[in-house]
Formats: sequence, C-alpha cells, structure tokens
Amino acid sequence: MEALIQIAFVLALLGVGLGAGRIAERNHFASLEKREREIGARFSITDLRTYPGGARAGSVPVLVTGHACISSDYFKSFVAKLRKIIGGELRTYESLMQRARREAVLRMLEQSHALGFDAVCNVRLEGFDLGGAHLRKQGGVISVSVLASGTAYRMGQASGASVARPIGL
Amino acid sequence: MIVVNTEIIPGMRIIQLKGLVQGNTVRSKHFGRDLAAGLKNIVGGELKGYTELLTEARREAVSRMLAQASQLGANAVLNVRFSTSSVTAGAAEMYAYGTAAVVESETGSPSA
Repeated sequence: MEALIQIAFVLALLGVGLGAGRIAERNHFASLEKREREIGARFSITDLRTYPGGARAGSVPVLVTGHACISSDYFKSFVAKLRKIIGGELRTYESLMQRARREAVLRMLEQSHALGFDAVCNVRLEGFDLGGAHLRKQGGVISVSVLASGTAYRMGQASGASVARPIGL
Repeated sequence: MIVVNTEIIPGMRIIQLKGLVQGNTVRSKHFGRDLAAGLKNIVGGELKGYTELLTEARREAVSRMLAQASQLGANAVLNVRFSTSSVTAGAAEMYAYGTAAVVESETGSPSA
C-alpha cells in the first residue's frame, strides 16, 4: 500500500512537471522570440573584439552584463535520469541551456538599450555551477545559470556598416 | 572609470598599463532561496533568487576590481573577464579580472 502511495506521488509530480514545465517553457520561448524581434533588430551583436561598424566619436563604451538562472522541472530531470542509464543525448536539458543563454543575452541587450547604445561587441557567454555538482548527486536543485558579458557602444553613423543580428543563440 | 571587455577603446590610446586587477567574492545561497528553488525544480521556470545572487556577486566582484584599479591610479579597465568556480556545495566564487590602464583621448585630453 505504501509503495503504491509512493508511486502515485511520483506520478503526480511527473504530471505536474510535464504540464507546468511545458507551459513555462512555451511561454518563455514565446517571450524570448518576441523580445529578440523587438530589440535584436535594433542592435548589432558580435563576439568580435574590434568594434565592428566603428564607434561614434565622443561616446564611451561600457561593460554590460546579463544573468539568467533557469530551473529544470521534475519531468525533465526524470527523463534525464533515465537517459543517463544508457547514456547519450540529454535533450530535455538542451532547451534549458538555450533558454538561459538567450535570456542572459537579451537582458544584456536590454541594459545596453536602456543606456542608449545600439551595438554590443565581444559578447562572452559563461555557464555557472550554482547548485554545485556534489549537491546534485544528492538530488539537489538542477538549474542552469549563464552570465553574458559584452561591450556596448554607439556605432559610427558615417560608416553605414550592415547590422549583424543574432541568429538563434 | 571606463570598463570594457575589449582590448582597445576607440578614439583613445593607452598611455600607461597598470597591470592585472582582480576582484572576487564567494557567495552561498540561503535556506529561503533553496526552499523556493526546490519547489521551482518541480514545475520549471526561472530561479529569480539565484539570478539575483549572481547579479549581487558580479557587482561585488567588479566593484572590488575597480577599487583596486583606482588605487593604482588607473582610469580604465580593459579586457574584463568573468570566471567562476564551485567552492563547496551550494556556494560559488565569482571572479572578475582585467587590465588596469591610464587612457587618454586621441585628441589629447585625458578622459575621466
């Protein structure tokens, strides 16, 4: 009987994870796409160190950053745990990484936009281990954290350089 | 203080390099955040508490780095990088480093 209750509990968690996780992910991707369309189109984004397009005279470039920390859901973690038995691609975690990266870059762009810049160069993306690998083994929180950093500047007007847009980060 | 993660600043030249400056901070999550994160781990979504933690850690590391740079008499930090390491379970180090330098605008006057 107790085993049955336990199984029912796990199934309930799986259901909640599958439902809520799907909705959260769908909403997040929709929001990412909308904001990327709005703000990404106005920005030149590169990971070049050379200020493509040239910086406008008199405008001082600034270091900008963006953080995002996205949590896994019970269903994703469960599927990944099963997959780890045979090894291979953990697809449920791939979308987590993408969401964290795109969110971090967008926040960086939003900060740059608020400061009145129209270009970001030398974009770097770095992953973090907040949960701690040792904690994870004991069934701790599974999450993905990303820090995006770059240099925001105003593009020179005269050069008329073409704008580089992000393509599905 | 001019802070960028590129090696050059357009329209400015480096007059003097002051060497590597760095700032670090080790932060741990607290129980309240862990509890919320544990619940979020069932339904998925953003862990706002952890994002805040990262932001605080980054600010602290950068401000320590800048304090070092101004102590050296620099007015710019170039090529800033971030790095982290996991120190112990549930705690992470945020490390910011860059090259402190004195720069002036190419037209002559030193810039703030």
